[in-house]
Amino acid sequence: MKSSDFKRINPYLYEIPAAHRPDMRVPARFYADAELLQQALGDKSLDQLANSATLPGIVAYALAMPDIHQGYGFPIGGVVATRVPDGVISPGGVGYDINCGVRLLGTRLSRADIAPYLDELATQLQRNCPHGVGRGGEFVLNRKQLEDVVRKGAGWALERGYATPIDLELTEENGRIEGADPAKISARAYERARDQLGTLGSGNHFIELDVVDDIFDETAATRMGLFPGQIVAQIHCGSRGFGHQVCTDYVARFQRVVHQYGIVLPDRELVCAPLSSPEGQDYLAAMKGAANFAFANRQLLTHLIRRSFDDVLAGKVDDPSVYQIYDIAHNMAKIEEHEVDGKRVRVCVHRKGATRAFGPGSAVLPDVYRDIGQPVLVPGSMGTASWVLVGTEGSMAQSFGSTCHGAGRVMSRSRAKREVQGDELRRGLESRGIRVRAGSLSGLAEEAPQAYKDVDRVIEVVHGAGIARKVARLVPVAVVKG
Amino acid sequence: MMDAPEDDDIRIVEHTADWALRLRGDDLKALFARAAEGMAYLLAGDTSVVPRDLSRDLTLEAYDAEEMLVLFLGELVYWAERDGLVFPVADLRDVTPTRLVGTVSGGRPAEIQKHIKAVTYHDLAIRQTEAGLEVTVVFDV
Repeated sequence: MKSSDFKRINPYLYEIPAAHRPDMRVPARFYADAELLQQALGDKSLDQLANSATLPGIVAYALAMPDIHQGYGFPIGGVVATRVPDGVISPGGVGYDINCGVRLLGTRLSRADIAPYLDELATQLQRNCPHGVGRGGEFVLNRKQLEDVVRKGAGWALERGYATPIDLELTEENGRIEGADPAKISARAYERARDQLGTLGSGNHFIELDVVDDIFDETAATRMGLFPGQIVAQIHCGSRGFGHQVCTDYVARFQRVVHQYGIVLPDRELVCAPLSSPEGQDYLAAMKGAANFAFANRQLLTHLIRRSFDDVLAGKVDDPSVYQIYDIAHNMAKIEEHEVDGKRVRVCVHRKGATRAFGPGSAVLPDVYRDIGQPVLVPGSMGTASWVLVGTEGSMAQSFGSTCHGAGRVMSRSRAKREVQGDELRRGLESRGIRVRAGSLSGLAEEAPQAYKDVDRVIEVVHGAGIARKVARLVPVAVVKG
Repeated sequence: MMDAPEDDDIRIVEHTADWALRLRGDDLKALFARAAEGMAYLLAGDTSVVPRDLSRDLTLEAYDAEEMLVLFLGELVYWAERDGLVFPVADLRDVTPTRLVGTVSGGRPAEIQKHIKAVTYHDLAIRQTEAGLEVTVVFDV
């Protein structure tokens, strides 16, 4: 992709015309400023974005957020909406970590309140929250129990005392997507998941304690229970091996039928089937089940975080309780209604590394957030800021109610490991007052801040473009990495 | 630090978000055996630390050679995650684009260093080159 292949629509938005390639069905649009644009040109992400514009039934544009980077099939940061029911659904357009997402938890504690206990709290979080490669947890479930999780999502945790009703109310889809079918999920997926509920995993997944560094929208921040200097916690993880296997199974199944539907694609990882087909319906029901597993997973990790706060802080601070602010998915396909060419239409919105960002007034938002817009949780790279945003009218009008999901990688994992020493990175973070508890130093090096884009710049773009609005900036004080 | 083999037949390829291996072999048997070896390096960091006290038999059927490669490596991903096993050695008696019969050998290392979520089809194409068959496989990690 060259700069002559696209045009600038406004200071934050660029377009690759549909005429760029004969197989593109719609234009491709991406949000960036000049620097993020140059970074996007550094890998194959914009070619992958153009590839996603070839999907049958795609409407309006293939979109990418400013944290776009190269993935497989879709770029990370991609958003594609397809017509219902004759458009396609693509498992690769959701990704292997189905309902990977972020949860933000609030406390009534300030940085000063926990300062004497921060080391112990970081260690207890690491001890209580299973993390790292191959680590199972305390919740070992048989197939029948896992099928119950698939049906009930975070509601499974509520039934067992691991959640409060408010936790579910303040979770996207209330922590349970309707229509999950346990029978559409393979025995192999249940095998992979048997001890993985309530575990963090590895890679870029983390639990982090942050302090609220700055507030940009006092009304929205107050509504969410955020205040300057407050300690909050983030969880970033997804559906673990359960979701990975669901995606693996359906990518393989779709390979065998895609030609029957007359679909020709530039990359086999984009494989898809009509949403109305048996394969499309089966994948949707299985994907919803994996999404429910992920909601339950983040809920059980919430329970373990609460346990950690009690273990360390009970009797030492006035109130060690931890409350839900919101929980969002950033790898998902959902049937939604949006306005396209002046008409309300039902579409299947694929968000792969993109966050739903519904604006004020949306009926699906919890009552407490309906007039401010949906909270959007954007973790930065380790050691840099994270952000709380809200969805806007602009996101509904421009991007199928979607915005960015993180900083976005800019450096390969192998280069990060060559250029960054994990122990030096840890010492550097510790010298800045950030406690680091990592399962592996080489894994830590792969996730070094220099491997990522500047998250503050990404946020300026989505804020400036009007597809989300800044509420609060968070900075880390403790990180538990898988 | 990962001790990658970095010979002409197994090479780590730069990828922004994930891991990719470029593999070469004289024929499908050799190519798939190098794929197993390369994936074992990603999983274990150093295949010399992997015991050789277990073997698993495999019989797979596929639509084409690329799907066969994904299915083959997918089996190894599954065993790594479910059982903590790594199989650096593949003795493949029969490999065609539609059928694979063979045995993989390895064991349980003290630690799996890299979690591989899945083997992808991204730009996956087995090509005939002057040096033999060549393919680049992207792993979601």
